[in-house]
Amino acid sequence: MGLRADASKFFLGYIWWVLEPLLYVGVFYVVFNIVLESKRSDFLVFLMCGKLAFIWFSKTVMQASNSIIENKGLIGKLNIPKTLFPMSVIQQGVYKQLVVFLLLFAVLIVGGYPVSLTWLWLIPVLVVNYLMIVACAFIGSCLVCLVRDFSLFISLGMIFMMFTSGIFWDVRDLGDPYKTEMVLALNPLAFLLDAYRQVLMEQTAPDLVHLLEIGVVSCVIIFVMVRIMRKTSQYLALRALTA
Amino acid sequence: MSEMVLELDDVSLSYSSKKTTFDGGVHKVLDSVSFKLYEGETLGVVGRNGCGKTTILRLMAGILAPSRGQVRMHPHKNAALLTLGLGFKPELSGRDNALLAAMYQGASRPVAESFLEGIKEFSELGDSFEEPVKTYSSGMKSRLGFTTALKTHIDILLIDEILSVGDAHFRAKAEAAMKDRIGGDQTVVFVSHSDGQVQELCDRAIWIHEGRINAEGATADVLKAYRKHIKSIKNR
Repeated sequence: MGLRADASKFFLGYIWWVLEPLLYVGVFYVVFNIVLESKRSDFLVFLMCGKLAFIWFSKTVMQASNSIIENKGLIGKLNIPKTLFPMSVIQQGVYKQLVVFLLLFAVLIVGGYPVSLTWLWLIPVLVVNYLMIVACAFIGSCLVCLVRDFSLFISLGMIFMMFTSGIFWDVRDLGDPYKTEMVLALNPLAFLLDAYRQVLMEQTAPDLVHLLEIGVVSCVIIFVMVRIMRKTSQYLALRALTA
Repeated sequence: MSEMVLELDDVSLSYSSKKTTFDGGVHKVLDSVSFKLYEGETLGVVGRNGCGKTTILRLMAGILAPSRGQVRMHPHKNAALLTLGLGFKPELSGRDNALLAAMYQGASRPVAESFLEGIKEFSELGDSFEEPVKTYSSGMKSRLGFTTALKTHIDILLIDEILSVGDAHFRAKAEAAMKDRIGGDQTVVFVSHSDGQVQELCDRAIWIHEGRINAEGATADVLKAYRKHIKSIKNR
């Protein structure tokens, strides 16, 4: 319920939410296409598909991780489910990302990529991406609430993910098919970013079994985390208030 | 005597704080505190800063769990802790904040909305009610906080230093409104370090000192002991 009011906060800084990811794309474009001269002619679109989805993941998870401790004022006043805080960040992220994705579609259409029924595969990809964000955000918010230092590790982890998820390089272009398999299998984020490109740029369906696996694992994590956070609600409150 | 609504049974709360504290890092906030709260009464809790008053309220509201002992609550009652303005979101208007606060206390959206006009009127914020809270002065914020708390219905009100707010006019009005509610069958736990307010409002009082109950009973007796203690510190 409180999420709706959070959304109104978001509309104030409305322009920024779109501009910021675009600036990121711009920075990457300058570095990897102009300075390092990427071989791809479609580099901008390629970059946008990966980077915009990655920013959704990284920004939401990082913000959500700090969400419990940032709301200690409210936590000290009310016994509310602690999952509410990361969820509120996540929902704001969804609204933001909606606009960002619309922009991405516009760029794709202008760039001459055909809009077809294959684009419908985007729906399961988006859902699984969302579930993965929720799972990671719940874990992150608990860890940071227990030990603040985790917040630094999460930032570092995001940089690691940024380099290993194939944002400015193509997972399918590693030269070694075995390596490609490994990256896709080990890094669910790399798989998801690749799935976006498969659907939007190559007009092919993603690997559905793999997608389902990520979705199911995320759901299990979410379920377990909700139970844990409900059980330890008062302990989390104590940690948030005293640490 | 009327029905018991809430009981603290041998409650202790401690937590490990930073490694640098000399007592091995364990910080004891409350130590074997037991008392009962009856329906319709107003219980005052006095004590100096940092003695554990707010912690007691948080335990009663179910925000924190005791590390030892039990907090028992009447199954069909709800308790809410009222403190000033900590939960405000500065970007949102006073109206939205009041709505959120009412909803956090368990009101559904339409019910919460029905409180809003009353809140606007009592808080005397006028047009500022529609402006973002970040433009408010601290007095205006506390008016909003107090009024929101007052107008939403709660079985057990846990009040933390809330009456020391606003200008003289608003404080008088707030105290009158508070007395009005206390006079009814509202159950209230009132925490303060100002003994005057406790004396005026409370039927019964407890005095907390360094995490333990130092005195419990009729307001006048407890306050007498408390004042004596304060004086002895001054004379030292």
